Amino acid sequence: MCGTNIAKIVDVEAVAKFVSDLPNVVLAKTYKYMCSNPGQEMITQDIKENKLNRVVVAACSPNMHERTFRNALRSAGLNQYLFEMANIREQCSWVHTDPGEATEKAKTLVYAAICRVELHEELESMSVDMCPNVLIIGGGIAGMTAALEIADAGNNVYLVEKNNHLGGNLARIDLTAPYLYSARDLLTEKITRTSNNKKIHLYLQSKVTEVTGFIGNFKATINSLNGTSSDKSKSINVEIGNVVVCTGYKEFDASRIVHYGYGKLPNVITSFELEKMIRTGRIETKEGKIPKYVAIIHCVGSRSQEFHTYCSRVCCMTALKYAHEIKSANPESYISDIYIDMHAFGKGHEDFYRRSSEAKTLFLMYEKGDRPVIHKAAPKDDCEMLIEVNEKLSGEVIEIPADLVILMVGMEAREDSREVARIVNISQDKEGWFIESHPKLEPVATTTDGIFIAGTCVAPKDIPDTVAQARAAAARILARIAKEKIEVDALYSEVNENLCSGCRLCNTLCPYSAIEFLEDKKVSHIISALCKGCGVCVASCPSTAIKGRHFTDQQVLAQIDGLFGVI
Amino acid sequence: MSIRVNPMFIDDLVRYGAEDVQLCYQCGDCSTVCPHADEVYKFPRKSMRLLQMGLEQKLETTLEPWLCYYCGQCSEQCPREADPGETMMSLRRWLISRYDFTGIARQFFRSRTTEIIAILITAVLTGTFLLIYGFSGGNINVYDGEGAFLPSPFIHKFDLSVGAILVVFLVINAIRMWYLVMIKGTPFDVPWWIYIKQFYQLPWHFFTQKRYAECEKKREHAVYMPWIIHLGLMLGYVTMLILVMVYIEQLQAGPEIRWQVHIFGYLATIGLSIGTIYFIRSRFKKHYIQYKKSHGTDWVFVVLLFIIVVTGIAQHIFHRTGLPEMANTTYVVHLMSVVPWLLRMPFSKWAHLIYRPLAMYFAAIRRDALVRQFSIINSNPLVVK
Amino acid sequence: MRTGVFFCQTDDSRNLNIDAIAKYSANLPEVETVQILRLKPLPDLRFLSDQITKYSLGRIVIAGDIPGYYKPVFTRAMAMTGGNTDEIRLASFQEYGAKGENAMDRAKAIVACAAMGVPFPLAAVPGGNPVNHATLIIGGGIAGIQSALEIANAGKQVFLVEQTGTIGGHMAMFDKTFPTLDCAACILTPKMVSVGQHEMIRLLTRSKVVAVSGKPGSYRVKIRQSARFVDVKSCVACNQCSEVCPVKVKSEFDAGISLRKAIYIPFPQAVPNAYLVDEKSCTFILSEGKKCGVCVKKCPKECINLNETDHILDIEVGNIILATGYEFLDVSKIEQYGYGVFPNVLTSIEFERLTNASGTTGGRIVTKTKRFNKKTEKDEWIFSPEGVPPRSVALIHCVGSRNKKFNPYCSRVCCMYSLKFAHLIKEKVPNVNVYEFYIDMRAFGKGYEEFAERIKQEGTFIIRGHSASVEMNNDQMVVKGEDIFNDKLVEFQVDMVVLAVGLIPTPGTEELSRMLGIQRDSDGWFSELDYNGSPTDTDKGGIYVAGMCQAPKDIPDTVAQASAVAAGVLGSLTSGKGVGHMSSLTLSEIEAKAKTIHSI
Repeated sequence: MCGTNIAKIVDVEAVAKFVSDLPNVVLAKTYKYMCSNPGQEMITQDIKENKLNRVVVAACSPNMHERTFRNALRSAGLNQYLFEMANIREQCSWVHTDPGEATEKAKTLVYAAICRVELHEELESMSVDMCPNVLIIGGGIAGMTAALEIADAGNNVYLVEKNNHLGGNLARIDLTAPYLYSARDLLTEKITRTSNNKKIHLYLQSKVTEVTGFIGNFKATINSLNGTSSDKSKSINVEIGNVVVCTGYKEFDASRIVHYGYGKLPNVITSFELEKMIRTGRIETKEGKIPKYVAIIHCVGSRSQEFHTYCSRVCCMTALKYAHEIKSANPESYISDIYIDMHAFGKGHEDFYRRSSEAKTLFLMYEKGDRPVIHKAAPKDDCEMLIEVNEKLSGEVIEIPADLVILMVGMEAREDSREVARIVNISQDKEGWFIESHPKLEPVATTTDGIFIAGTCVAPKDIPDTVAQARAAAARILARIAKEKIEVDALYSEVNENLCSGCRLCNTLCPYSAIEFLEDKKVSHIISALCKGCGVCVASCPSTAIKGRHFTDQQVLAQIDGLFGVI
Repeated sequence: MSIRVNPMFIDDLVRYGAEDVQLCYQCGDCSTVCPHADEVYKFPRKSMRLLQMGLEQKLETTLEPWLCYYCGQCSEQCPREADPGETMMSLRRWLISRYDFTGIARQFFRSRTTEIIAILITAVLTGTFLLIYGFSGGNINVYDGEGAFLPSPFIHKFDLSVGAILVVFLVINAIRMWYLVMIKGTPFDVPWWIYIKQFYQLPWHFFTQKRYAECEKKREHAVYMPWIIHLGLMLGYVTMLILVMVYIEQLQAGPEIRWQVHIFGYLATIGLSIGTIYFIRSRFKKHYIQYKKSHGTDWVFVVLLFIIVVTGIAQHIFHRTGLPEMANTTYVVHLMSVVPWLLRMPFSKWAHLIYRPLAMYFAAIRRDALVRQFSIINSNPLVVK
Repeated sequence: MRTGVFFCQTDDSRNLNIDAIAKYSANLPEVETVQILRLKPLPDLRFLSDQITKYSLGRIVIAGDIPGYYKPVFTRAMAMTGGNTDEIRLASFQEYGAKGENAMDRAKAIVACAAMGVPFPLAAVPGGNPVNHATLIIGGGIAGIQSALEIANAGKQVFLVEQTGTIGGHMAMFDKTFPTLDCAACILTPKMVSVGQHEMIRLLTRSKVVAVSGKPGSYRVKIRQSARFVDVKSCVACNQCSEVCPVKVKSEFDAGISLRKAIYIPFPQAVPNAYLVDEKSCTFILSEGKKCGVCVKKCPKECINLNETDHILDIEVGNIILATGYEFLDVSKIEQYGYGVFPNVLTSIEFERLTNASGTTGGRIVTKTKRFNKKTEKDEWIFSPEGVPPRSVALIHCVGSRNKKFNPYCSRVCCMYSLKFAHLIKEKVPNVNVYEFYIDMRAFGKGYEEFAERIKQEGTFIIRGHSASVEMNNDQMVVKGEDIFNDKLVEFQVDMVVLAVGLIPTPGTEELSRMLGIQRDSDGWFSELDYNGSPTDTDKGGIYVAGMCQAPKDIPDTVAQASAVAAGVLGSLTSGKGVGHMSSLTLSEIEAKAKTIHSI
């Protein structure tokens, strides 16, 4: 009766009295704190003494204490699934004020529970082996970080990279924002460690073509040109327990935005092109002149209705980085930074922003949805191009002189992400990013058990966040490996193959794609390890061939009947 | 029509003292706390923005810098320590050089040395001229009356001629200001009667400087102090000017003291000396935010003023205590500093004596004209201040 | 390769003796010239290229705090002389933490590695030592909970130390979470419960780490557990003690907007789900047992013992995770917003509690009502469910953040939660005006931008411009600001102001950093080993940072970090060796390692 929580409204004694007169009920007891240790001991005792084979506890919500009481059953040597909880706190005492009615409702709830529990069956939760090998798709900073974490813990890692070198997009970058640390040192370290690690099996110029099976027991096919001199690829089959997808991003194609004249105007370049210039130490216009005026345009392809609605998260800081780099290389050039909102949110970012103001960068703000227009300047002007934009902070329509224009191209999902998603069977959002199983508490897991995602294939991210995610994924996998076996809840659905008509309706409906079609038998079969027991298939099956364990039609109907007092 | 931004402009303005303006990230705090900003004249944020972007043609027609009296609340508030108050100050300096047609002001503001050299040259010229004149006709031991070293009638003429030059400069610059502000900077027509209607603004602000007083509201320290002292200094200065321009003979006749004129002289001297000492002290102590940074020209201004006051008092005392020789010498020195000081006026910060009241006057006119154009309070949910 | 070392040290806050380092680097192999550059103005291009040709340098090392700032000009010089621009190495003292006790040696090592063209982390690899399988986690917020579960689920022992009476941290106080608007409790409490029930997690509430000794892999930790005065095991949270308790004080969990008793449970879903006694307010304890003590008599389970004393635990752990989270800046320091002066100026967390369904008003957004307090005989303003809802609310961003006088940094979450507030207000209060004052709308995360758009659609007045003052004009609060986009000075009459208060490290941070020898950055947050490469490690082996205590971040990023540190821990446990102290590596060790790598 949970102290006064229940007893203050519900007359528990009356309920007990009513219950004990019911058929099949051996005994009905009340206790002040059933969930407390003595309460549980009492239950265990009674089970042993009276050879009980079903138990109903009328107390609080199952998600609070079902586990507790199931343990009690287990310790009494009774199968834990032969138990049902009637929630007479949240569903009764807490929400009602009239004791009489509340008590009646409590009775009904308990009665329903009893009706249901009679039909409960003994279920055994099964466990499958966890294969310690891990497949990692993508050899960027995320992929390598995850690989190293897992391999250093002594597990085999198959690292599949589709280019002929490791490093991904980071390899194209010289310095990193906001502290202008060398990206190359970062990479060199990771690459050296990755390639020297015995446990990491590296497949360059390779693709994962197929992943089958379920958590702990995946089989993957890698199509690899690695080492092979000719272009005929050899395919390798590997057995793995988990998969990490870190396929990264690709930059937005600036030529899609016509009014920036990218591709037409020679000195309109993308951030990555500038990155090359900086590396080679020649920040010059196509004509080889040192640009006097440099303009940096933010949010190219990001935060816009017609291209990508999201923010690419790293461009602002990168832009400031360029401002510093250009100022350092050519102190005589003037830099205008044309932005919407300055996203300087991370550690050291705001300070970096301040420093670039101190370096006399001219910040000009345009409104989201507005578009700066670049056009050639007249011969009389001392600059090559003019950028026309409605500057929001001054409220003026202005022209910005520019000899070199840098477009901060946003991130977008790779075109092959759809294929990857299909192969490892995870879902994508409308922008093509992979969807995590919970945006907050499960940022690296997916709805498919054993498949993890990390880095910029989930959403735009800067390096530290990417690394953190990669490690998070690694942690999950290491935890699983450490346990060697993986428990699969006994609550899953089964197909009665005799009844199954092979209509395959359920195959498509299953949100966890746990249902495969056995071609030979022409029936559907549920991979219990993948099944979450949601019951969609059960409901959908036209020939009622599917049974949801612990939620069989009989059990549920019995409970409903109980609620309506049908005896 | 779009205007061209000029990223280089800021480099120039740094010379006028706007060092931190580029730090501003435009949060608008300064405009919020400014006691003078209103719906028509929004500053300092807006002015800082125009400066950052180097929109000269907009800046040179603005009145905002003149409406700011540098109470320093914006600078205290500024989250990025971009010092808006100092920026407005620098803008005033820049505007003075803009109004000045000779371009001398620009030179002075941009380099302190040029200014000092110029001052010295004028001083020396004045000195030599006076000495030559003195020794040619007069006797160093005679101060006034017969055979005086520097006879009052001559000095009177001398003063008037210097004054005339001064006036010429000021009037021309004032006209330029009027042109920039009221013609170039006012996109709508201003009927003549508004000029008449608002004319009282000119003397009113000249003599009361009440806006400076408004600066002092909601400030915990030294209530109204800077305002009173500034007022005293200004009035003292004006009185002195009138005395030397008009009543110089009575002023110089002696040795006995003529209270009807001298009383004014003494009052003015008190005002001037207190003011000068106060401002020199503040610039040293830097305890108010507005005295944290001192531009070269500010120093020249106060120091020169200080010399004038001291020598003035000295020669007065020597004269009355019957030391004509000393009196004459100090008198020469006095004039040597007075002349460059007067001539420098149109090219220096001191010109705000004229520009501020004018600005108030123009501001009022513009506001009326604007109200006449369209009602600024409009129907959207924003309640206008 | 002929190498030139150039020192571009800007700030001397690290009190490094640059000349000494320069002398040292002169003796490094293949170093032709060592120069200390004057940096104002920037190194001159001509000069540099001359140097390069003069000594015919093949490699350049730029040493300094953040040498990256000067790299481009060197690169350009290198390009002019036709050298290989890839051979410009950075020796960054800040990046690899040349700070604290052995700063000089570290700095030298950094330069040495750069001169040999070896990435520092590759050369500076601390040796491993046997590791104890238990892990200590300091802080029971979402970060601590997440790491605890990650590690415990791998079947490893975890000690979770929490200062207050319950785990859950700040997240438990929140109502909804942006941008998905799912209720914080709904996603957090299940995790809390599983922490409470997990057999591998030993939960130590009301506890503080008082001393740490030992070496990486096996730390001896002394923990002081303050008396709870209630037996956690037998207490069943029946609330009877609380009903009889006469003492009323401000509830920490409700951010002080409601009252609790001296014996209380922070919130119904608290874990452990047991009451505790606040020794600072309990009459019995304050009067040393002379007065009161009614709760003891009332408790049906006899689990209250008001004479209980603190006790000290000594535990051995292999790894330590810092997840100490954050606190809020004291807004009363920023006078112009009148916090503490005007009743209806709230901090974000106060509003969070106000709008929370489990809050004192049951989630109704109302203004405070005046009430006469008999004890103090003063009028006081309190939230009561009968309060009148505000007609208009102002939300002010960046209060104390991005401000040189308070927090120079951005607190990262304020923009989004302020938008969330706007939504909640619009949702709960009919035809209310919401004004949002912002400087930059930092909606950077997955789905954030879309969320911001949605709020705009809902008719919140989003004003680009920061409000600097809240004033009271004849009993009507007035918020002044500049609406920059519409070029107006605006003045809104509002009934409630919510300040998006900046975040600061928890008070304990400083002490902990001293205890563990962990460095902190200029803003006071724990500094990570390597900003990019290892954002969750510290230069003490086996000590990790997760979540807000490293820098402000939102829940997903915090959770990601919390899981990430688990990787480090589990890695060390499975491989059986804990990582040694980066900080205790000697110069010669690093040199030697670098040489071997270099020679390959």
